[in-house]
Amino acid sequence: MKQLGSLGKTSGKVGGLRKDMSNLLPLLPFFIFTIGFELVPIVLVAASSLRSPAGGLTLQNYQHATVPLLARSFGNSIRLSITTAFLGVLLGSLIGYAIHSTRAGFFARATIALADVATNFGGAPLAFAFIITLGSTGVVTLVLAQYFGVSLYPTFRIYSITGLVLAYLYFQIPLMVLLIQPSLHGLKREWKEAAINLGASNLQYFRRIVLPILAPSLIGGFLLLFANSFGAYATAWTLTGPDINLVTVQIAALVRGEVQLEPGTADAMAMLSLIIMAVCVAGYQWTNARAGRWRR
Amino acid sequence: MDECTRGKVAAMKAGQIWRGLLISFFLLYLLVPLLATVAFSFAVRWDRTILPEGLTLEWWMTVIGRREFASALQHTLVVSLSAMVLSIVLVTPTAYWVHLRAPRAKTWVELMTILPFGIPGVVLALALIRTYARFGGRLVYSPGMLVMACVVIGLPFVYRPIANSLNAVDVRTLTEAAQTLGASWFSILRRVIMPNIMPGIISGGLLVFSLVFVEFTLANLLVGARYKTFPIYLVEFTRFDGRQASALAVMSFVIAWLTSLGLIWVAGRAGGNREEAIGAR
Repeated sequence: MKQLGSLGKTSGKVGGLRKDMSNLLPLLPFFIFTIGFELVPIVLVAASSLRSPAGGLTLQNYQHATVPLLARSFGNSIRLSITTAFLGVLLGSLIGYAIHSTRAGFFARATIALADVATNFGGAPLAFAFIITLGSTGVVTLVLAQYFGVSLYPTFRIYSITGLVLAYLYFQIPLMVLLIQPSLHGLKREWKEAAINLGASNLQYFRRIVLPILAPSLIGGFLLLFANSFGAYATAWTLTGPDINLVTVQIAALVRGEVQLEPGTADAMAMLSLIIMAVCVAGYQWTNARAGRWRR
Repeated sequence: MDECTRGKVAAMKAGQIWRGLLISFFLLYLLVPLLATVAFSFAVRWDRTILPEGLTLEWWMTVIGRREFASALQHTLVVSLSAMVLSIVLVTPTAYWVHLRAPRAKTWVELMTILPFGIPGVVLALALIRTYARFGGRLVYSPGMLVMACVVIGLPFVYRPIANSLNAVDVRTLTEAAQTLGASWFSILRRVIMPNIMPGIISGGLLVFSLVFVEFTLANLLVGARYKTFPIYLVEFTRFDGRQASALAVMSFVIAWLTSLGLIWVAGRAGGNREEAIGAR
């Protein structure tokens, strides 16, 4: 209302309001759609997560969402997300730096283009590609066994949480490679020369100049990769089915009605994951704005 | 060459070797699973030996010949194309209007387009079911609802390129010129603005199309076996026939590749157009 009122000063309050309303009219379809299919559904889940079967306000659903089985699913999802986000940021920024500093321009561009495609691979086809590659009769499994005498199985299984980490890294590392590029372009050559002229060692240059400049991108990248992994379902479902207890796997089972629980439990789990995701995405937006300061 | 330079050269060499190793590892990691899947889909048998035992087109022929394959492909195309068209129709006028006439609503529009990033597919499906199940299962567990859900998750991908394209052209001057010539809002948008922001519209559309083409979570939870889409069909196959599943997986990869090529092509052409436009001015 504040917005509408402030416009009123040109042509009188009522006329201004009407003018402003008609100015917002073309936005109506967009807001009807997003309110109907984004906001209202989320608000209804939030409301239903706080409602007891009898209709009163309660936190009971959240208690049900933290029974050992479901609490473990949060533990597993968070651990999987931290692992793949950490490894993704570490390897992705190192590889991103290597690509950035290579002198072969065409080669660097081709690698970036490949990374771009790889971030969009995911879900069922990716999981299946990993089964073919690292399954018990996968091609890499065979090569390792016949040429290097290393037998992966039965110590390693692709249908495990380690397998999930490997599959998730397939889209996490390229995503970080892409995310770090703008910040690397922002690192100016003169800064390195200035630091070296002032007597800094390479390590000092890295710790005192490179790291602080890249820090927002690294933290933001971690948050985005965390969210990317936390919300993923298709890859995990294709690779490990119901074997690995993850939040998304549990919610999907509740939605399909495979598990007989009170409906409020699914809503409470959904709300908890939305809160985790919201913190990550908001944190990413914030660090992204900070990282932008160094880019020209 | 004195000690110091020799040390520097050695350090540079070491740096190059590290760089080479890292990039090679990266390329192997990205390419081996893809190439293995492609090879597997053409291999007669490939579970005992390093190289496939002979090549065959049998798996591809079998999988393509199935009636279910045609219907799954058709379902996926219907959903992806509808989601693509709907998101363009929804977002283009909105982005244009907030750019030109309602800049203060921009924050809200952008918030609504970023929000889906934070909603996991399973949560979106659950929320839509909670909201619309009361109007009957035929409404909520329908291809139409799947399209709506896909438009939601596509919003971030379609809004950005269109907004960027709008920033790159002089929307105000174009609009005023068209208004002076007596054009209606619809024809301004259709005949003046849209041709100028075509690269953004095509990029956004391609992104939504490729995203929806492989969308498994929403399809599985909202329509499932009632309206089998390509990804659902693929996941079913991974459970009982690896050969044919690999052919299906390769098709998904090809779609993703083609989309990326399309995006690069559009970006290249957009660059060319912009230069021409500047040259003409």
